[in-house]
Amino acid sequence: MFYRLSGTYHTSYAADRKLWKIPTDRWLVIALLVLALLAPLYVSPLYLGSYVLPWVIWSAAALSLTLLMGLAGQLHFGFAAVMAIGAYASIHLVRAGVPFELSLLLSGLISAVIGAVFGGAALRVKGLYLVMATLAMQYLVDWVVVNVPAISGGAHATLRTPAVSFLFLPVESLAARYWLALAWAVLLTVFFMNVKRTSFGRALVAIRDKDFAAAVIGVDPFKTKLMAFFTSSFMGGVTGAILAFCFYRAVTPEQFGFNVSIQLVAMVLVGGLGSVIGSWLGAGFVLLAPIFLTNLVSSLAASGWVPVSQNFLSHLPLMIYGAMIIGFLLLEPLGLAKIYDNIRKYFLVWPFRHARS
Amino acid sequence: MQHDPAMMAQARALHPNWRDEDTILARLAQNAAEVPNQVALRERDHGIWQEYTWADYLRAVVEFAAGLEARGVKPGDVVMVIGDNRPNLYFAMLGAACLRAIPSPAYADAPTEELAAQMEREDIRVAVAEDQEQVDKMLEARGRWQHLSLVIYDDPRGLAGREPPGVAGFDAIRAEGAARLKAEPGLAQALIQRSTIHDIVVLMHSSGTTGAPKGIPLKHGHVLSGVRNAAAAGYFQAGEVHMAYLPMAWVGDFIFSVGAAMELRFTVNIPEASETALHDLREMAPTLYFASPRAWSAMLTRVQVGIAETTGIKRRLYDYFMPRAMAAERARLDGKPVGGGLTRFLGEWLIYGPIRDQLGLARVKRAYTAGEAIGEDVFLWFRAIGLNLRQFYGQTENCALAVAQKPEDISLTTVGRPFPGVEMKIDEGGEILLRGDNIFDGYFQNPKASAEALQDGWLHTGDAGQIEPDGQLVVLGRVSEVVEKRDGTRFIATYIENRLKFSPYIKDAAVIGQGRDMLVAIVCIDFQAVGQWAQEHGVPYTSYAELSQASRIYDLISGEIAAVNAHLPHGLSIDRFVNLHKEFDPDDGEVTRTRKLKRNVIDDRYGPIIEALNAGAGQIDFKARITYENGQTGSLDRVLRLSDVKGAG
Repeated sequence: MFYRLSGTYHTSYAADRKLWKIPTDRWLVIALLVLALLAPLYVSPLYLGSYVLPWVIWSAAALSLTLLMGLAGQLHFGFAAVMAIGAYASIHLVRAGVPFELSLLLSGLISAVIGAVFGGAALRVKGLYLVMATLAMQYLVDWVVVNVPAISGGAHATLRTPAVSFLFLPVESLAARYWLALAWAVLLTVFFMNVKRTSFGRALVAIRDKDFAAAVIGVDPFKTKLMAFFTSSFMGGVTGAILAFCFYRAVTPEQFGFNVSIQLVAMVLVGGLGSVIGSWLGAGFVLLAPIFLTNLVSSLAASGWVPVSQNFLSHLPLMIYGAMIIGFLLLEPLGLAKIYDNIRKYFLVWPFRHARS
Repeated sequence: MQHDPAMMAQARALHPNWRDEDTILARLAQNAAEVPNQVALRERDHGIWQEYTWADYLRAVVEFAAGLEARGVKPGDVVMVIGDNRPNLYFAMLGAACLRAIPSPAYADAPTEELAAQMEREDIRVAVAEDQEQVDKMLEARGRWQHLSLVIYDDPRGLAGREPPGVAGFDAIRAEGAARLKAEPGLAQALIQRSTIHDIVVLMHSSGTTGAPKGIPLKHGHVLSGVRNAAAAGYFQAGEVHMAYLPMAWVGDFIFSVGAAMELRFTVNIPEASETALHDLREMAPTLYFASPRAWSAMLTRVQVGIAETTGIKRRLYDYFMPRAMAAERARLDGKPVGGGLTRFLGEWLIYGPIRDQLGLARVKRAYTAGEAIGEDVFLWFRAIGLNLRQFYGQTENCALAVAQKPEDISLTTVGRPFPGVEMKIDEGGEILLRGDNIFDGYFQNPKASAEALQDGWLHTGDAGQIEPDGQLVVLGRVSEVVEKRDGTRFIATYIENRLKFSPYIKDAAVIGQGRDMLVAIVCIDFQAVGQWAQEHGVPYTSYAELSQASRIYDLISGEIAAVNAHLPHGLSIDRFVNLHKEFDPDDGEVTRTRKLKRNVIDDRYGPIIEALNAGAGQIDFKARITYENGQTGSLDRVLRLSDVKGAG
């Protein structure tokens, strides 16, 4: 119905490997990008600051994690710790007088190095054992951040981010912070889509599918796994810094706790492992669905439609939310990305059931 | 140069309007000079489209011509070209034409004996073959016709470096030509200018429904006149995107892919293989599309099968909008006002547009069909989805461009009016006669047949027809096909067969009744459509033969024939029929390569069945003759059911 495929032909293999070959997809991407860029103009500051901005940043975080979990198949249950390293490192670097742009890169590198060291465990263990190793990282980093006053300023201290500017533009107003976060998220998105098509991306997939089989065809598991942890942690670290400077603006250790790691894993799983659009949809779902449900349930309760006790009412949104996650995963184990893909294919072959009938 | 002055004077007298230097090759050179970087030809190769500009095209043609000349090809030599559509084969045809030699395309699936017979008749010394398979056929044919001295192949796979004697690669010939061109400046120019408009540019063949095929030489002037007449009437426009998917040996392909392409600067697109033609069609989305009624019908069947198995909402939308569009189109053809603006708009967005897109016809501005009658449902359906499908009428002898429907006189029964520059009349015997510059000047080395076909400049088409009061032509069938039943009822079997074939379930049919008391039909079911029907209705089958003999399939076909009977005049209804255990196959000689019935073969081979049908038997043990791929024959015993048609009598 919406898609028109005729007249799409290629005169070179490079053109045949374009990201968006179908004009309709191309227009959709352009329209979404324009909508996202102009969001500060038509979205009220309240919604921009508390819904859209965190969605963009958490999408970037989910993208970073899905590179590791979806592409390389390495489970990571301590990704909030990686982001914490990035956040604290960037604040201290800026305070030490390093320019913001450079400190973003450096904080990413620090996260990457520490993340890769813990990821070294992946060279020896797999599956649940790797989950244990990454959980250890989560608790170790948490403990260090809390107990080293030089980092956190104390167990209950809040570390304010200093005022910074990015490429001479002050990152102060909500719109400026939003655009910086959006730029980073778009950069990660483009990077992710392209990394899938490189030899590195294919090596990651080979490792995910069977690491010793990958070794047989000449992919070095040692190098590739370390690279996966390094790359993913770099992306996560910078995202942590962006989260600190663009959204929280004052960081405490609790913002990067174990439950945040679990939430990130949920985003990646609900969205669909290793999928770009899944990261965006998953982050949006995990972040916004509880808020939306709470608002819905409370407004229903206010109008007397849900005659339940106040105590139960506060749990009801969480119950629905949990049921929705289970429902989505039962309906489509490959996540929201697969649901989107199904819908897209439904319209791609319209009015037939499948292609080439 | 080597032109014989006496013959030239004779040729000029025949076509006083033609200018000597106005050739297809001159048009090619002009395109290469004026728009050298515009894409002239695309071929899909391993999934991507390889492009050839006009400059590439000219260079390839001239280099090949120079190479061919160095190998001893002389004016008047016939050069066989065989294979599926390939750029190099088009280059080869025009390269031969540069030398005033005569390119003669042959059907890629023609068996060796036919080819050898043609070589013998036309004294063919050089052949250009697509690939190893065709080269093998040529080498085999050389066993019968030793004078075949040079076989040039296009696809090097399995051949390069291991050529048998007398076989050379297209690229090798081109390289020799390129070296000659470098050594002799001015040769390129001379090669283009050597031929005149009175030279034969291609040698086509009649389908050979009766006896050996006749050679039909077409000159530069015939092709150009035909194309210009068509362009003048708006049937083609400059710069069309065209798919070259029909066999090169069919006159239409030469007219569209070479003649019109040169004159009107088409972009000609060649699909990867015949199996991918429909897919490639969608990728390229041409602006001009020609298909036989059979192909349109197959396309419709494909859509109907797709809709039958699609999901609920989609099917309901189709079932809502399609009948409305058909009804609107029927009303439009009847000249009644058509309303339903909103339905049309929604339907266009939900159903018609997407289907056109799925079929690859989204950009088609001019869609044509010709060759035989098209089914009402098929014709209406394609017009209903917004395709301006029109019929035309033509034959190889008149470059296939003689009569066509204008946008304003669309009709199912007529084929339209003559092109500007073409005169038409019906003689006393009811035969259609045509005259014009696009009519050929006589068969190849066959004065007797030429004298029969061309009388006083009028081409006797052999088709029976009549002209409606508004000047539109109705084609009834072949004059030679009018036959009588024993009681003297006159009928044209093809006419009835075509109406039977409009059913999606009937792929082929032969109607037999000459000199008999009743009309009987031999039916070949359409495996795809009937198979789908069988699946939906729980009829088990394992093979074509088994499916064809299922009793419920007999009921289905019987109903279809009864529906056709209802529209036939009294005395012309089909009384009995048989579902054949196989399809008619050109390899078995039952149909020609263009799928026209060979009645004598059918009468001969299926004589026992026809007798049994007439005798009223319920079934028959039939000894079926089988031709294997390697040419051996065997036989197989089959029991075939014979059935009455519902309500016939």
